[in-house]
Amino acid sequence: MATLALSLPAAGQATAARGPRTADGKPNLNGIWQVLTTANWDLEGHAAAAGPMIPLGAIGAMPPGQGVVEGETIPYKPEALATKKTNFTNRLKLDPEVKCYLPGVPRATYMPFPFQIVQTPQYILMSYEYANAARTIYMKDPGPAPIDSWMGQSVGHWEGDTLVVDVTGLNDQTWFDRAGDFHSDALHVVERYTLRGPDTLMYEATIDDKNVFTKPWKISMPIYRRLEKNVQLMEFKCVEFVEELMYGQYRKKP
Amino acid sequence: MKIIHVTLAGLGLAALMALPATAQKQAPAPRVADGQPNLEGIWTNATITPLERPPELAGKAFFTEAEAVAYEKQMAERNDVDRRPASVQTDVALGYNAAWWDRGTRVVKTRRTSLVIDPPDGHIPALTPDGERRAAARAADIRLHAADGPENRSLGERCILWPTAGPPMMPGPYNSNYQILQIPGYVVIFIEMIHEARMIPLDGRPHLPSSVRQWMGDPRGHWDGNTLVVDTTNFTDKTRFHGASENLHLVERFTRTDADTILYEFKVEDPATFTKPWTAQMTLSKTGGPLYEYACHEGNYSLVGILSGARAEEKDRQK
Amino acid sequence: MKRYSIVLGIAAACLGAPLVQGQARVKAAAYVVPRTADGQPDLQGIWNNATITPLERPADLSGKAFFTPAEAAAYEKEWLQQNNRDRRAGEGAADVAGAYNQAWFDRGTKVVPTLRTSLIIDPADGKIPYSAEGLKRLAAAAEYSRMHPADGPEDLALTDRCLSWGTAGPPMLPGPYNDNYQIFQTPGYVAIVVEMIHDVRIIPLDGRPHLPANVRQWMGDPRGHWEGNTLVVETTNFTGKSHFRGATQNMRLVERFTRTDANTLTYDFTVKDPATFTKPWSASVPMTKAAGPIYEYACHEGNYALPDVLAGARAQEKKAAGGARK
Repeated sequence: MATLALSLPAAGQATAARGPRTADGKPNLNGIWQVLTTANWDLEGHAAAAGPMIPLGAIGAMPPGQGVVEGETIPYKPEALATKKTNFTNRLKLDPEVKCYLPGVPRATYMPFPFQIVQTPQYILMSYEYANAARTIYMKDPGPAPIDSWMGQSVGHWEGDTLVVDVTGLNDQTWFDRAGDFHSDALHVVERYTLRGPDTLMYEATIDDKNVFTKPWKISMPIYRRLEKNVQLMEFKCVEFVEELMYGQYRKKP
Repeated sequence: MKIIHVTLAGLGLAALMALPATAQKQAPAPRVADGQPNLEGIWTNATITPLERPPELAGKAFFTEAEAVAYEKQMAERNDVDRRPASVQTDVALGYNAAWWDRGTRVVKTRRTSLVIDPPDGHIPALTPDGERRAAARAADIRLHAADGPENRSLGERCILWPTAGPPMMPGPYNSNYQILQIPGYVVIFIEMIHEARMIPLDGRPHLPSSVRQWMGDPRGHWDGNTLVVDTTNFTDKTRFHGASENLHLVERFTRTDADTILYEFKVEDPATFTKPWTAQMTLSKTGGPLYEYACHEGNYSLVGILSGARAEEKDRQK
Repeated sequence: MKRYSIVLGIAAACLGAPLVQGQARVKAAAYVVPRTADGQPDLQGIWNNATITPLERPADLSGKAFFTPAEAAAYEKEWLQQNNRDRRAGEGAADVAGAYNQAWFDRGTKVVPTLRTSLIIDPADGKIPYSAEGLKRLAAAAEYSRMHPADGPEDLALTDRCLSWGTAGPPMLPGPYNDNYQIFQTPGYVAIVVEMIHDVRIIPLDGRPHLPANVRQWMGDPRGHWEGNTLVVETTNFTGKSHFRGATQNMRLVERFTRTDANTLTYDFTVKDPATFTKPWSASVPMTKAAGPIYEYACHEGNYALPDVLAGARAQEKKAAGGARK
């Protein structure tokens, strides 16, 4: 067999570049970032498929994707898998994204919208363009979350050059994607952000929910820096766009 | 609107299977920059050699040179004959002569009498009972539901997939053109019909998960000496190459035998459909190109015509 | 579902420095503002701007720019009593509507430390200088609201629709509760997290131009720079639906943030919109360090009120139509 000179970089190599640093010596994650996978459509590998809305034609169709789940399939308990399938069938009615609800974690990371990291020593703010969702990562543990919320409570610390974020206090209202992948309020997410060169963040999230899955499972994907000149987050205040959908039936008839 | 692509044929050398030739006029580099054997260029697989051996040639695996020439003359005449049958409808349907097609004018350079080389009788092996059942069901469905909706028409008519473009690549009615490009780590086959690019990674990565099916499957390549071997799996159950199921496992082999010829062989394995695997072989010939844009869907008036015509006929029948 | 944010201790800031009429700068006494790692004056922290001082000077205080300390104390006492009294108006609906007392709100308990009788510092009369055209538009909008209180979601207030919390702005004014903001600074940016409704204003400091004029945003498009120790933020590109106090989409807002001591942020803003106001007007709203945390105000996710208001209106119409037929 002929030896080929492969010029592709080895995939999965998360070499923490001794890159730009903040004043307090930590890897500098400041900036505007966005994911390029189809994870928001379906975390698992999927071929392209027609969308649920015929008038949208190819615009509403699901693009194909190789999947971001380590081990390919999400380890659902059998009864939970049945729920996922029902979720998928009824996704137009049930997917919280349709109603512009807050996306939760980790879905906020891989929505098809940019987000901005604002990194200070005590807090790291993640501001998501989608529905102006936001979360503040406490770099000093404030104790248990006082109440469950859509975006949860995030507590971060550095392990070498990796930002590790522990997310608890998540309610059970969010989905992981548009394919009906869901969780209970026992959800616990641990994220890892590692710079691989100045413009790429390698992202991993471990998902643990004893009510729904037989064991913890992991997703991973790169996050790319948005490099356009003067790039900024803009408003995606989608609440306005779903009023007709949610309240149109109550509208006064002319 | 169909675009007729004129092949610059006329490369009259019938080369038998051989190791890479050495001296050629204007010989292409034997290897591309990263060391892969050079398959680059624009190629056509148009040929008048049929897939299966015609009954009158049973037992005859190869033509002699003279027989090949005679066969080519005979086929050229037959395909261009002026057929004037009885009914108007049949007359129009048969009105297509060679001006409308570009099936090629030559037998394959190996002078075999069929593309199928294994089984040796030049015929596709018998179908399994399940294969038969599916084929029968399909035929019945076509008869009973010729044009209920777009899904009842062929993939070509729907502009989803050009059936002969494959994989595997078969000679088609026209535009049987392919452009092969090679870059480090990939062989890319750009297929004119219908503007498809098969990206074949050579780095040994695994296939897509089995839950992901694709119309053209999922190819993985590696070099075996001077032969590119492409292993394709993950077909959908709608691709149906010669009735194959979604478990079709296709192995193609590309070997450049001279400046103007690639020996192309493919093996079909689908125990659910065929009682044994079968192999076909043909030669790809260098051609001038360029590849044109076949914007099938964008000009697909015929599908609308067929369906609305069927609806009109139904209405007429009800009267 | 409302979330309560506890305001801890409105600190007594330095009141001695006189305010210059028509200008927003506060003279910091001996306070030296700390700096962030990249040298910006450090405004970071959680801040609250609740106060009972109204935006405009009340009619019965016309001509009176400042309270005396005794008057301020009396005003505060009176205000609390008024807002916490047991109001038993007529029957059913009115009674329920009046039943909200201070348990439901978190407006603060104090006037501003300067003892000014309005948040507006310019014009001198403490009132918004509406032009005739501005008043006309406001009146028309009010009339329309009267005639169409709830035909559809667009007729309801932006807060009721959970689109935008009117008082959170920009500019930031005290509201009914949760007047909380958290400021973050990194090289090149100041970010203000607005609790209501989980909005984040990210203010670039690099001098880049505003968004193109055809791009309009609810909260406009902010650009910041430092003038000495004061962060100056200029915001343009508002939508025609943002309507701050009746302003049009051409409103231009300038905000100034100065940290005058460890627990006080002086926040002044100037509003310019010739189509609505005869001249630019300014207000000053002190912000006080708060313990936090900022809670998640998932307004839209829990918005039962909006469909109920609409459904109720439809039910009333049906009832009225049925009655008319009798």
